[in-house]
Amino acid sequence: MTLLGSHRKILHVDLSASQIWEEMLDPELYRLFPGGKALAAYLLLRDLPPHALQPDADPLGPENVLVLAAGLLTGAPVATATRFTAAARSPLTGGIGLSEAGGFWGPELKLAGYEAIEITGRAPHPVYLALIGDRPALRDARGLWGREPEFVQAQIRRELGDERARVLQTGVAGENLVRFAALTHEMRHYNGRTGIGAVMGSKNLKACAVRSAGGRYASLAADPAALAEIGKRLSKEATTHPLSRDLHDKGTISLLAGFNAAGMLPTRNFRQGRFEGAEQVDHTAVQGAILAEPHSCYACAVRCKPAYRADQPYGLDPQVGGPEYEGQAGFSSDCGVSDLGAMAKANELCNRFVLDTISAAGTIAFAMECFENGLLGPEDTGGLDLRFGNAGAMLQMIEWIARCQGIGDLLAEGSRRAAQKIGGGALAYALQVKGQELPMHEARGKVGVGLGYAVSETGADHLVSIHDTMLQNPESIPFKGAQALGIRDALPARQLDAAKAANYFLCENWVSAGNTLGLCYFGPAPRSFIQPVDVIAAVQAASGWDVDLAELLDIGERATNLARLFNARVGLSRADDDLPARLFQPLENGALAGVSYPRPEFEAALTELYRLKGWDVQTGHPTPEQLDALGVGFLKEWLP
Amino acid sequence: MTPPEPLRLRLGGHLNYFDPHQRAWLQPPLARPVVLRALLETLGVPAGEIALVVINGEQASLDATIAPGDRVELFPPMGGG
Repeated sequence: MTLLGSHRKILHVDLSASQIWEEMLDPELYRLFPGGKALAAYLLLRDLPPHALQPDADPLGPENVLVLAAGLLTGAPVATATRFTAAARSPLTGGIGLSEAGGFWGPELKLAGYEAIEITGRAPHPVYLALIGDRPALRDARGLWGREPEFVQAQIRRELGDERARVLQTGVAGENLVRFAALTHEMRHYNGRTGIGAVMGSKNLKACAVRSAGGRYASLAADPAALAEIGKRLSKEATTHPLSRDLHDKGTISLLAGFNAAGMLPTRNFRQGRFEGAEQVDHTAVQGAILAEPHSCYACAVRCKPAYRADQPYGLDPQVGGPEYEGQAGFSSDCGVSDLGAMAKANELCNRFVLDTISAAGTIAFAMECFENGLLGPEDTGGLDLRFGNAGAMLQMIEWIARCQGIGDLLAEGSRRAAQKIGGGALAYALQVKGQELPMHEARGKVGVGLGYAVSETGADHLVSIHDTMLQNPESIPFKGAQALGIRDALPARQLDAAKAANYFLCENWVSAGNTLGLCYFGPAPRSFIQPVDVIAAVQAASGWDVDLAELLDIGERATNLARLFNARVGLSRADDDLPARLFQPLENGALAGVSYPRPEFEAALTELYRLKGWDVQTGHPTPEQLDALGVGFLKEWLP
Repeated sequence: MTPPEPLRLRLGGHLNYFDPHQRAWLQPPLARPVVLRALLETLGVPAGEIALVVINGEQASLDATIAPGDRVELFPPMGGG
């Protein structure tokens, strides 16, 4: 069987034995799991040894498996087809860890001839993987340990004699096993969530440097001319379609003003929905004060990645990307800080230490609330007055977390574990699901986002379906995009019922397919500009498969079922699909003052969602019948 | 007699692309109170793209009456980012 759109090759690296080998994927398996989220979840399920799946096994032990997987379309000459998935058992949640990033590393891996790298074991001393052309090797990284990402990237490029090698690396936070450490490449692209940086650090693996030998996606594609034509047209649309053009011109930071006006800007650890200092940190303020230039990912005309420059008082380095909306809101409203420079500096510090900005901000906001309520005192914080609004204390916390110094050693565990150690009711201030901190999206104003926070296999995640606010107006551009997926009803953002669960489910499968194929969340409709018909055409042109919308939705649903199967194996169940107590309490201010997340409707919608997914409504686990229906009945043996 | 305060109109998100000059903030001339929907029609901003209306800090509807001196903020459907 000829297989296009894929090399089918997986590179295996055993760091303990210092061995490297290749595996050729079965073509039929690849059609079931065509890269990214699906392939990564499959490899984890297949290759994690049973003892590493025990509920109390340590994800930072050598038996954890780290997978870096490109998608079917990653590296195709199509805007937003840049993503790859970093995956392992998460040290933050104990469940499956999946984290996507765009940029250039995924395309480079694909063009180097590999679908994925699977890394096991632990090296006796720090090493990095160099994959230049088709010649993989492990090299000494002792001189890189503890160094900043710019140094690491430059040094590896120098050693390899290739200035264009793409260097994916863990940072100081990952070396120190901070449970929400990230991975970065080019200092502006991050696999931010679920603590994959700590897994890489635990393996004594500093970086994976990849350089293709001039490979081109066209040589893989079934119909390269058709693919090029689609890519050319989409590049033009990326800069003219209102949704992607807004991302192009302003980046994601333009969201903050609207969320604040709508009473949906997480403020002071989600107590409030409106921040009095919003205008000092919104995109108008950012563009006027510190914006340097937008950057792009591989072959993507959206160019939504901003860089910032400022001399005083904090000194922002445009080499380091961000902030984007999550860091902007996390280090301003959620910590009560209205100092633009401090917000941007906090984001930059996270990027330099390679920490997830969402979990870092959420954990610091948690600590601030503990401090204000007397659960932490100056004796715990090294004398710092860790109250909401203290920008200096916020910045200090980031460095202490990354270096595990002082109270930073406790906060490096994430808010859930820190709350369990602090005790005294601190858990009420930990805004997390399955141990992962909430992104900066107010679920009390868009209830489907809350459903996603609860059911997401990776813990709270805002990029698992389409936000309710995009689908409430039947005349709007996003709703028209959603209709092509099969969405029939425009629903109010705060309506939580069976109809909302159905919209959520369909959009979740679509987004999951994108995470498998290697498409950015800011590519496909309804969030952005690439219509479903164009996604289908691109997959057909790349793979030669006679694929349709139903198969793509199945691919997405199957990937989610694999992730859910993983979580079932490590002991997670329906009880873990819950929301933090605070969301069931009323917002204190703003346009949604007094609004809380409705508990009875939540339980009913969750049950309905499980029913739609074909899962056991008591346990939340996939049923054998559902695995059969998705063509993966052979995975039934892994059900608990 | 001092002239009335101008109306300040924010076109949030992608809405400013419907303004020929693509401005985020406009000060359309307004001599007397008018229904917001009618004003937007004259400005060429499609009502179907507007998800959120805020007038002087309070949520409102497209059928609200606005007056010189008001601060009106409009936002399109907003999603994840």
